[in-house]
Amino acid sequence: MAVELYGREAVFTAVLDEFFTYLGDEGAALRDQWLADPPDLVIDDASRAQPLLFAIGYALGRSVECQGIRLTALLGHSVGELAAAALAGVFGLRDAARLMRERAAATADVPAGGMLAAAASVEELRPYLDPGERPDSVVVGARNGPRQTVLAGSEPRLTSVEERLRRHGVPCRRVAARQPFHSPAMAHAAERFERAFATIELRPPKVPVWSTRTGARVSRQEATDPAFWARQLATPVQFWPALDAMLKSRDFLLVETGPGQGLSMLARRHHRVRQGHCEVVPLLPPRAAGALHTYRAAVRRMENTP
Amino acid sequence: MTLEDLRRILAECAGEGDFLDPRVDIADTSFTDLGYDSLALLETAARIEQEFGVSLPEDLIATLDTPRSLLAAVREASVQTI
Repeated sequence: MAVELYGREAVFTAVLDEFFTYLGDEGAALRDQWLADPPDLVIDDASRAQPLLFAIGYALGRSVECQGIRLTALLGHSVGELAAAALAGVFGLRDAARLMRERAAATADVPAGGMLAAAASVEELRPYLDPGERPDSVVVGARNGPRQTVLAGSEPRLTSVEERLRRHGVPCRRVAARQPFHSPAMAHAAERFERAFATIELRPPKVPVWSTRTGARVSRQEATDPAFWARQLATPVQFWPALDAMLKSRDFLLVETGPGQGLSMLARRHHRVRQGHCEVVPLLPPRAAGALHTYRAAVRRMENTP
Repeated sequence: MTLEDLRRILAECAGEGDFLDPRVDIADTSFTDLGYDSLALLETAARIEQEFGVSLPEDLIATLDTPRSLLAAVREASVQTI
């Protein structure tokens, strides 16, 4: 995950070093694990991977900003929404590191479960979902596209839903997560996370943030409400509604500031992108190799876009 | 199966109505640039099987990078079926 940029891109490196320092001993361990060759980091190990996902997203945003590229709107998926909030100035990096530590601690004892991406609409998946808000319910965890829906839930229920979907010919694939993020199983973790949020200073965003919790722009009131940010752990990621609302407001050059190109692929299916009104630029390659080359080429492309 | 059939199926899989601009030549545009990840391509293959009775193995689908290569694979597979 973006290892090639470390030590070569000054701002990216400085931001990550600062983040690792704020994390203390845990930060040093995370850094070693991230830089180990061959890679030693398992993406589905949430306690390590989630803080790193946050930090890389945030550091890439800062890095691009320092190239003179102005961020005019922010939209983040799952933990990425917190990176968006940090880039918008809602909280600082020192507090962000504390939040990441608390988030990992809060989710550590959530029962085993996972996430399952299905090529189907929410309506088509309705018969497979559990009613109500039981802690082990299988629910919609993310609306990633009109026909790309991620289910989240505890085991063994998630596996039984997966088997039924396969029997009925619905293409589906596991997402790298060992826990049911964005499902009711996270409710207690979200409450604990909210207590951590309540101890830090929250400020209104300096750049508009389109929330994947609500599918709309974050208001000043929401931005300073600890519950608003913390409860996203237990509620679905409204990625597509948020993207759709953002692209209805005006056209953008969409820049993906995280590992891989998953969000770029989703955005390319949006009609504003397909019809050439918006361009999509991922900063990193689909896999680890070639990160520095892809990043530098992407920055050049942004500099040449008015 | 023609390129027009594939264009329609791809649009159905994206679920975005007017998704593919008919003026855009998609045959040699990569699935990555069109926004089709492996899950979307699995659905594309499932719909091709339903409609045309041609089944493509999952590991073959993973090697296809453009609509043209997908069409060629479907033709190849249908010849073998006959």
